[in-house]
Formats: sequence, C-alpha cells, structure tokens
Amino acid sequence: MDRLQVAAVAISIALLIGVLELVRRKKLTEEYSFVWILCALALLGLSMARGLLDRIALGLGIHYPPAALLLVVILFVFVASVSFSVVISRQRQQIDRLIEDTALLDARLRELEDAARAPEDEIYSKSTVEDR
Amino acid sequence: MRVLILIPAFNEAAALPGLVAEIRSDAPVHDILVVDDGSDDETRALLPALGVRWIRLPERLGPGAAVRVGLRYARQRGFDAVVRLDGDGQHPARLLPALIEPLMNRRADVVIGSRFTHARRSPSTPRGRRVVQRCLGMVLTILTRGRVTDPTSGLWAFGPQALAVLAEHHPSGYPEPELRLFLSRNQLRAVEIPVTMRERPAGQTSLTARRTSAAMARLIIHLLVVPLRGAVRDRT
Repeated sequence: MDRLQVAAVAISIALLIGVLELVRRKKLTEEYSFVWILCALALLGLSMARGLLDRIALGLGIHYPPAALLLVVILFVFVASVSFSVVISRQRQQIDRLIEDTALLDARLRELEDAARAPEDEIYSKSTVEDR
Repeated sequence: MRVLILIPAFNEAAALPGLVAEIRSDAPVHDILVVDDGSDDETRALLPALGVRWIRLPERLGPGAAVRVGLRYARQRGFDAVVRLDGDGQHPARLLPALIEPLMNRRADVVIGSRFTHARRSPSTPRGRRVVQRCLGMVLTILTRGRVTDPTSGLWAFGPQALAVLAEHHPSGYPEPELRLFLSRNQLRAVEIPVTMRERPAGQTSLTARRTSAAMARLIIHLLVVPLRGAVRDRT
C-alpha cells in the first residue's frame, strides 16, 4: 500500500463512519443516507482493490489510475446532487400544498365563523345564473 | 350554472376596489373570490373590507398556484365554472358573458380571451414582446393542434370538466402557456374568443426581469416535457 492508497482507504472509512454516525444521531434520515453509504462503500472498495481501479483506468484510457478514482468520486457527487434536487423539488411541492391547504382552511374557518354570526346570504351575494 | 369570478392578486391594493366595483355593476350575479398571493402591500388589510370571498396565501407562490387554490375553493363550494380575471384590472368585467357563453353551450371546456385573434399587433404591447408571443403562439398552435394567438393571456374561463381536473393539476408559476399544453394533453377543449383589454390602470406588474427569464426557462422545458407526459388519471 502506498501513501495515497492508505489516505484513500482512511477517507472512505471516515466517510462511512461519519454517515452512519449522522444516522445514529437522527441528523440524517435513513432514506437520504443510502446514497452516501453506497458512495463510501464504493470508494472503499476502489481504494483497497488497486487492481480493479487499474483495470478501470486502463479501460477508460486513463494513464494515472488515481485519476480514475477522482472520476468516480465526481460521478458520485453528481448523482448525489441530482438526488438532492429531486428531494428539494418534492419538498417544495409539499410545502406549496401545505400553504394552499392552510389558506383554504383559513378561508373555510373564517366563513364558518361569519356564518355563525349572520346567515351567509347577508355576507355574500349568492345568486346563480340559470342555464340558458 | 354557478360561476365564481377568481381574481389572483399580488400587491394589487390600488386596482382591486375598482375592479370589484366594476364586476359588481357589470356582472352582479356572480360571486367574487380574491386570492391574495402573499402580498406585502395594503392588499392584506383591504381584503376583509371588499365584501367578497377571499383567501390569503401566507407566502407568495406565484399566479399559477394562486389560481389553483381558487379552483380548489370553487370545487369545494360547489361552483360549476370559474372565470379568472387579472387583479390589475386590465380585463374589463363586461367581457364576462362572452367568456361564459361557450361553457354554457358546452362548446368548450376552457375559454381564453385573446387580444390578437384579428389585429396584427395590439398597440399597447411592446413590439419585442409581441414577437416572442407570436413565436410562442405558433409553437403552441403546432403542439396543441388548436389555435393559440395569445399564449400569455390571463383571461380564462373554466367549465365543470376543466375545473375538476385543474383544481388538482393547474400548473404553477406563470402558468398560461403550460396550461395550453396540459389542456391539449388531457383532451380538454379550449377556444379563444377575441377581446380588447385595457392598459394596466394602477399598480405594478409582478413580472420583473428575473421572473420573466425564470418563466421563459421553465417554458422551454415545458414545451419539451409536457407533451411527453401522460394524461392525468384522476378525472373525477
């Protein structure tokens, strides 16, 4: 093992432990930890199995194998970022929905309170247009 | 047919009282709902004094979401149709009967007031914007296989079928072009009728340069993606 490999293994293990610790403390929910655990395990695998990394590098035409490791890391960060964008989009939709529901409930409550004070006909003009 | 007049409003305190008074005098039979899209001017204080139905969104969600909330409200309260007028007062209330008529005759599920069905160019619209609108209109005409002359018009009437679908699925943001695509994707019949709109009488447009570019970027994605989406299923 050269120094680079030792460092890579150490960083992968630290990442894995860090993610698991965040899940243990409930700072990170299981579903979002998954992508990171996968990432850490893959990094660990690649840093330990130098032969595998060399073969990947050779296959891709990369002359300096650790550069292939960098490529894998960048890919993982990219995938993670996209998955966060998906999460953010979903949360945005959920927040919008909550705001809409709050506003509708607020209106309903206000109208009920008004109706309790006076018949609704006195508050709003409630006529209809007949079908022609 | 019970019709609700829906007015999405963002900082329209200057225009709202006049608009409400105009609707009251020109179309007194209809109920009015103002959806305040998280305004930070006097709109908030004004709403209870107007004597109309109103909903206040605690945060600004954009006109699309404001309309969606109004449509959900209309569904909950048993209205059959909704007419959407812009809160700035550029849509005259006297247009209401013409907008509602195709819904009553079941000729259309959605009616859109278009400024450009006949005129080459409306004098009130800046030339550059009109060019963009015409290009967009042509693209939408091709994609929806229906005539689209005014892709950004905010004057809409929704019939019962459309109301049922759009109360859940009305697009967010500046929704008008996406809505055209959505309607055609979901086999809802849209027709344009010619209208003349006014200059914005009071207040400021919510369309800042940033919001316009964001809306354009969204639109380009919608043009690519909405035709590829399936039709929504829950048509209750």
